[in-house]
Amino acid sequence: MIELDINNVKKNFGGLQALNGVTFKVRGPELIGLIGPNGAGKTTLTNILDGVYQPSSGTVYLNGKRIDALPPYRVAQAGLGRTFQVTRAFRRMTVLENLMVPAMAMHPAARQKDFLDRAMEVLEFLTIEHLSNEYGRGLSGGQQKLLELGRLLMLDPDIIILDEPFAGVHPKLMEIIYEYITTVNEQGKAFIIISHDMDTIFTLSKRLLVLHFGDLIADGDPKVVRHDPAVIEAYLGEEEEEAGPAMVETYLGKDKADA
Amino acid sequence: MNRKWPLRALIAVGVLIPIAAPVVLHSRPYIMHIAIVAYFYAILASSWSLLAGQAGQFSFGHMAFMGIGAYTTGILGRFIRLTTAATRTCAEIPLGKVWLVFISPANEGCLELGKQNMPVGTVIRRLPVVSSVIGGILMGGIFGLLIGVLVLRLRRTYLALFTIGFSEILRIAINAEIDLTNGPNGLELAPLFPQGIQLFGLSFDATDKVPPYYIMLALFLASMALMHWLAGSRFGLFIRSIREDEEAASALGVHIVRYKVLVFVITGMIAAAAGAVEAHYIGVITPNILLIMQMSLVIAMAVIGGLESLVGAAIGAIIIEFALEFLRTSFTIGGIEIDMTTWRLVFFGLLLMLTLRFWNNGLFYPIIQRLTRAGVVEETVAKRLAAVEEQG
Repeated sequence: MIELDINNVKKNFGGLQALNGVTFKVRGPELIGLIGPNGAGKTTLTNILDGVYQPSSGTVYLNGKRIDALPPYRVAQAGLGRTFQVTRAFRRMTVLENLMVPAMAMHPAARQKDFLDRAMEVLEFLTIEHLSNEYGRGLSGGQQKLLELGRLLMLDPDIIILDEPFAGVHPKLMEIIYEYITTVNEQGKAFIIISHDMDTIFTLSKRLLVLHFGDLIADGDPKVVRHDPAVIEAYLGEEEEEAGPAMVETYLGKDKADA
Repeated sequence: MNRKWPLRALIAVGVLIPIAAPVVLHSRPYIMHIAIVAYFYAILASSWSLLAGQAGQFSFGHMAFMGIGAYTTGILGRFIRLTTAATRTCAEIPLGKVWLVFISPANEGCLELGKQNMPVGTVIRRLPVVSSVIGGILMGGIFGLLIGVLVLRLRRTYLALFTIGFSEILRIAINAEIDLTNGPNGLELAPLFPQGIQLFGLSFDATDKVPPYYIMLALFLASMALMHWLAGSRFGLFIRSIREDEEAASALGVHIVRYKVLVFVITGMIAAAAGAVEAHYIGVITPNILLIMQMSLVIAMAVIGGLESLVGAAIGAIIIEFALEFLRTSFTIGGIEIDMTTWRLVFFGLLLMLTLRFWNNGLFYPIIQRLTRAGVVEETVAKRLAAVEEQG
């Protein structure tokens, strides 16, 4: 059973309060969307979960183990993987080498050839098996995003955080990423997906978290969150009635029930 | 067909020719000397390629590790003796039937004084060259660990500046510590084989070039084999991922600290080994071996050969060392004498600039890539076409 507990996490950068006591839990293979206007604290939260930053106060537990003071590699080994807002494929390494890095890091006694079949399976699943010997720099932006997702499959974490997985991606690749998320989620992995693509995030996620100026202002069913006055005010600066349904649709996407 | 066979054939030829070379070159000590120095630079350039090209740690302190190896073996040889009886005047440690005697720089006469009390027939020997060389290698590893830890958070320009600082501090300290290092006058070392050696049924004296040639070649081949194996192992995979993106590598479970420090330790030990052997071969070392120009030469050799390739960097070093030596011969055009001892460095600088401008992967790395990655593009296109046909 996957258990992630974020308890009253605060983070200050000098005088700036980036996170102001964020608390939530993840139980089992949930599919969670994390949204919020720019500067809301989404990436800061991700960096704290990942071990890049340590919280100013508060705790993070993953499967009963405290991870908020661990370096990123220990967090990854504990079962939390992530992608980055800007794609970070290893550009001067081949696609296969990119996949071998997490596999070797997770299995200190293994040899690279032990994971060759698994790596090819992953590439086939992501439809980029023909690029196995190409360098990362030879891949398009979308293919590099797929490669990042492939690395996470080789890492095999319990919880996967995807930072803007749909940004700047061709619709065809978007379908592949969408299928990746749903399939891997069905296989028992929990997802926290950060996205500004409201239509996709409202359709995909089963639970939505909304951050605003470092506060978690909503946590629940996307259909309910979409009409939460605090969320609408965070995005539009005014209440739903004043903004009108068109404005709400523009900023928070189409309501699945309306569609 | 295995696409790597041309490369393997070239490697086999590249190993066999240097092994057989002394058969025809042993009577030409100048060429043998250039070859020994070329292997020395090849070890330094290839190990720097592992550090900077593969791990992305652009250090200017590599020659400092070489100097640490050279000076450690020199200092051990100068101040340590093995005796069969206690001196009672120097600091000493009993090791079974022999005594390890430390001659203090402040009291160098202690051994001479001690001789008066030692029984007749007492044997006094310098530390064997191999032991002091090993001492130098270990010291290179210790300094590698120290520098690796200190530069953990430094990248690019800051790392380069830090390591220049380290190298210069070391050079100035060696210059200043005359009691220990003999300062700018240079520290003398015993030859690699003080009593000469029998090799292939032939006798070679201490000044002969053939034994040091094989020692340096063996060190070069052994270090290349070790680094090649490391580059292909998880170590190589991880250091390349660190070079590409430290944060992303760490998020994928790579222990950044461990591998960054390890690469400094390993390359520091290799550079120290080269320095220690070279110091015994030349017979005297001065602080000038740590001049920034020497480091620049190693960097230029690696860059021209191919920064990301161990073999490319080594080939670059060997060819450039030979070229720099052969270009020393001055000549006259229309009554104007061209002093090649100076102009060769200008040509070398121009070659470096042209390489950086037009072939930033070096001159030899692209050839190696052609041999090792032959068919990859065609294979990718064929697979892509097959996938399209299958879908449609």
